[in-house]
Amino acid sequence: MDSHQLPPSYSIKRWLLTTNHKDVGILYLVTSLYFLILGGVLALIFRLQLAQPGLNILSPPAFNQAVTIHGLVMVLFVVSPLAFALANYVVPLQIGARDLAFPRLNALSYWLYLFGGLLVMISFFQDRTLDVGWTLYQPLTSVFSPYVGVNTGGLGLALLTASVTVSTVNFVVTIFRSRAKGLRLTALPMFTVGVLLTVLMMLYAFPALLAGIILLASDRILGTVYFTSPQGGAILWDHIFWFFGHPEVYIVLFPALGVFGDILVTFSRRPLFARRIIIAAMVVVATLSFLVWGHHMFLTGMHPDVRRAFTVTTIAISLPFDAIILSFIYTLAKARIELKTPMLFVLGSIAIFIIGGITGVFLGSIALDYVLRGTYFVVAHFHYTMAGGALVGLIAGVYYWYPKMTGRMFSEKLGRIHFILTMIGFNTLYFPFFLSWEMPRRVPIYVESLVPLQQIATVGGFIFGASFLVMFWNLLYSLRYGEPAGSNPWGAHTLEWMTESPPPPHNFDGTPTFVDGKLSFIAANGAAHGEPETHLSRWPFMLSLASFLALLGLTTHLLVSVVGVGLLAFSVLGLAGERFISREEDLGERWPFERVDRMKLAWWTFISSEVVLFGVILSAYVYVRTASSTWPAPGTLLDIGHGAVNTFILLTSSLTVVLALASSRMGSRTCTAGFLAATLGLGILFLFNKYNEWSELFSHGITFSSGLPASTFFLTTGIHGAHVFAGLLALGYLFARALKGAYVGKGHETLEYFGYYWHFVDIVWVFIFPLFYLV
Amino acid sequence: MVATTVDIFTSLWSIFSTLGVLVGVVVMAYMVYLIVRNRAKPEGPEPEDAPKPGELPREQKGAKKLLISVILSASIVLTLISLTFIALDNLDRPPAGAMEVKVIAFQWGWKFIYPNGYESIGELRIPRGTPVKLYVTSQDVFHNMGIISLRLKVDAIPGKTNIAWTRVYETGVYDIRCFELCGDGHGVMIGKLVVMDPEEFNSWYSSLQVS
Repeated sequence: MDSHQLPPSYSIKRWLLTTNHKDVGILYLVTSLYFLILGGVLALIFRLQLAQPGLNILSPPAFNQAVTIHGLVMVLFVVSPLAFALANYVVPLQIGARDLAFPRLNALSYWLYLFGGLLVMISFFQDRTLDVGWTLYQPLTSVFSPYVGVNTGGLGLALLTASVTVSTVNFVVTIFRSRAKGLRLTALPMFTVGVLLTVLMMLYAFPALLAGIILLASDRILGTVYFTSPQGGAILWDHIFWFFGHPEVYIVLFPALGVFGDILVTFSRRPLFARRIIIAAMVVVATLSFLVWGHHMFLTGMHPDVRRAFTVTTIAISLPFDAIILSFIYTLAKARIELKTPMLFVLGSIAIFIIGGITGVFLGSIALDYVLRGTYFVVAHFHYTMAGGALVGLIAGVYYWYPKMTGRMFSEKLGRIHFILTMIGFNTLYFPFFLSWEMPRRVPIYVESLVPLQQIATVGGFIFGASFLVMFWNLLYSLRYGEPAGSNPWGAHTLEWMTESPPPPHNFDGTPTFVDGKLSFIAANGAAHGEPETHLSRWPFMLSLASFLALLGLTTHLLVSVVGVGLLAFSVLGLAGERFISREEDLGERWPFERVDRMKLAWWTFISSEVVLFGVILSAYVYVRTASSTWPAPGTLLDIGHGAVNTFILLTSSLTVVLALASSRMGSRTCTAGFLAATLGLGILFLFNKYNEWSELFSHGITFSSGLPASTFFLTTGIHGAHVFAGLLALGYLFARALKGAYVGKGHETLEYFGYYWHFVDIVWVFIFPLFYLV
Repeated sequence: MVATTVDIFTSLWSIFSTLGVLVGVVVMAYMVYLIVRNRAKPEGPEPEDAPKPGELPREQKGAKKLLISVILSASIVLTLISLTFIALDNLDRPPAGAMEVKVIAFQWGWKFIYPNGYESIGELRIPRGTPVKLYVTSQDVFHNMGIISLRLKVDAIPGKTNIAWTRVYETGVYDIRCFELCGDGHGVMIGKLVVMDPEEFNSWYSSLQVS
C-alpha cells in the first residue's frame, strides 16, 4: 500500500494496522498516559488510606496490591513507554530517517506492551493481582503468595520484556544504520543520544529480568526450588533482580536527560555546555550502572569487602551525574532564557532531580542505608528521581514536541498553570516523605506523630494528580483549537523541526544530509525506487493478540491457550510470507557498522541480549551450586553418555548449517535443501535424546522439585531445549522454502542469519555440557 | 559512655545532611540566579553563538570549569566515603561481653530466644547499658527487623543468619517493626523491645522457667 494511502486518522483500521513510527509513537503516548491515570489513581487511593493510621479504605491485601501495581505500572508501563512514545516519534526525525529500521517490529513492540498491560489489569479481576511489592522478593513471591492473579501479572511482565527486547533491537539498528549522511554519533541531538544509551542498557538489563521471571514462574508453576531453597532463595533473587533493577533506574531517566539537553539549547539560545563531556559522562553512568546493584542488598549480610566495593561504585556514580547536571546549569550562563512551558518543566525537573541525586548519595553510604533502608526516605528519594526527574522531564518533552506531532500550539497559559500545580503538588506530596524517614514503606499503619506529615502528603498527592487534568485538557483542547504551529515554532536547530508539523508519512521531502557540515536536502528521485514503501500490516497486532491469548489461557482456561497458539502459528507464517517493503536509506552515516547490513546487526544485537539471558540462568546455577555443601558427583544424577551424544549431535548440526549456506551460495538447490534437512534431523534427534534422558529421570522419581541439582538441570536444559525447538520450527520453514528453490542465487543471507542463531544455541550447550555433566 | 548505634548514625547523618543541604542550596541558588539574570527581555539580542536551524550541534567550551566543579564534588564524595567506612567499622564490631539473643522472624511476628533457652514472642527484654548482639533469621519469607529509634536494622532472611548489635543507656519501650514487605500482616508485624533496669532484668531473667 502506498504511503500516501494510509487510512485517515479517524479510521480504526489505521491505528490497528499502522507501522509508521509517528503513528506508533502516538499509540505509545496515549497508552502510557492511560496507564499513568491507572497508576495515579491507585496511588491516590492508598494516599487516602494513609491520611489516618486507622482508616480501613483498603484491606491489608488490597493495600499491598495497590502499592505493588502502582510501582510496577509506573516504572514499566508509564515512564519507559512514555519515553518510547517520544523516541518513536522523534528519533527517526532527528536522525533524518524515513522510519525505524523494522517498522513491523516496531508495531509489534507496541502491541506486546499493550497486551502485557492488559494481562496485568486482568489479574485484578482474578483472586489477587501481584501483592508482593514491585521488587517481587523471594520466597514471598515463589511460594507465599499462591494466587492465580500473581501468575497472570507475571506473564504480563514477561510479555513486556518481549516488547522491550524487540524495540531495543529496532532502535539500536535504526540509530546505528539510518542516520543522515554526516550525522556522526557525537553530533546526534541529545534526545537521540539519551535513547541510544537507554536501549543499550535495556538490551543487557531486561534479559536479566526475563531470566528472573522464568525462574520464578518455574518455581511457582513447575515446582522447581530456586527460590524456596536457602542456597538460592532470597539472595539469588536479589542479585538477579537488582542486576536488572539498578540499570532500570537509569533506563527510566536517560531519555529525560536527553529531553533536558535539547530543550535547554532551544530555549536558552546557546549551545550545550561541554556537550561531549555530558555524552562521555552518560556513557560512564550507563556502564557503571551494571556495577552498583549491591547497594540494594547492604543489609543482607554480604561480605564486608563486597559492601565496601559497592559503596564506592554507588557513590562514584554521582560524579558523572555532577558533570551532567552542572553542564546543564552552566549552559544557562550568558543565555537568553525563554521561560516557555517546556523550559519551565525542564528547569523544575532539574531542580527536583538535584534533591533526588543528593539524597541518593545518602543511600549509597552503607552506614546510613542501614537505617534508611525500607523507609519513606527511600520512597522520597526515588520519587524525586523517577517521578520528578524522569516523568516530569518527559512531560517537558511532550509539551516540546506537541506542536510537531499535532501541528497546533497548546495553551501557554494552561501550560504554566500545569507547571505551577506540578511543582506545588509534587513537593507537597514527596517532601514530607523525607521527613517521615522513620516510617516503614508499604505499611497502612503508622505512629500518631507522623499524621500531619502524611496528611500534607495526601493533599499534595491530590494537587499533583489534578495538575495532570490541566494537561489533558490543554492537549485535547489545543488539538482542535490551538494556533497553527508551523514547522519550527520554537526556533530549534535540530532536524525534526526542518519539516512540516505534523510531518508527512515519509518525513522529509528529499533526503536530509549534513555532508557539508550544514543541513541540505537532496531532491528525491522518485523514479529510482520501484515500489512505494509499505506502512500497514495486520500481523503485529495479530501476533500480540495471539501471545496474549496463549498466556491468558495458562491462568484461565487452557482452551484459550490452544486458540492462542494456533493463532500464533498462523500469524508468524503470515508475517513471514507478507510482502512488506521497507528500504534502508541509500545515503547514511553508519559508523561503526558500515559493513554490517541491518538484518545482520539486528541478529547480533538480539543474540547479545540472549547471551545475558543464558548468562543469568547459568550464573544462577553456579551460584546455588557454590552455596550448596553437597552436590551429586558427575555421572551419578546425570548420565554422561546422554550429554556426550547430544554434544556430538549439536556440533554436527552446526556443521550442516554451514554446509547448507555454502550450498546455497554455490547455487545447488538439492544440497541446500539436503543439508537443511540434515540439520533438522539432527535437531530432532537431539530433542529425542533429551526426551529419553528426562523420561529416565522421571521414571527414577527425579522431578523438577527433587532438590537444586534436578531443578537447575531441568530448567537450564529446558530453556535451551526451547531454543532448539524454536530453531527447528524455523528450520522447517526454511526447508520447505528451500525445496521450492529459495535461497539459491539470492536470499542466502536468510540462511546466514539463521546460522548465527543456531551456532549460538550450540555454543550455549558447549557451556551446559561440562557445567552440568562433567564437573 | 561508649558509642551506641544511635551515636554512630547521628554523627554521620549530621555530616551528610549538612553537606547535602549546603550543596543543594548553592547549586539551586546559582541556577535560580542564572535564570533570573538571563531571562529573555523583548529587546535583548540573541547570543552570538545561538544555534541556527539546521546546524549540527556545537558546544560551549568549559572543560576547565567543569573539571574544577567535579574535583570539588569528588573531594566531598571521598570524604563521605571514608567517613562511611569508619562508621561501618564500628557498626561491624560489636563490643565484647554482649548478651546474645536469637531472633526468628515469621509471618507476622518476632520470636526471641535468650541465652538460657527461654523463648518469647513479640517482646524482647534487655538490660540497660549491656551490649546486645542479635542473631537474626526468618522461618518463612524475607523480613527486615528494624528498631528505628535505636537506628538499628537488619535483614531477616530464611536460611541465613545476620548479626546486629545495640546498646541502650535508657530504660524504655521501643517499637520493633518489619521494614520489608512480607505479606498481608506486614503492617502489623510489630514487636516491643523493653530496656530494663539491670537489677530488675536480672531478677526477671533468673526467675525464668526454662524447659
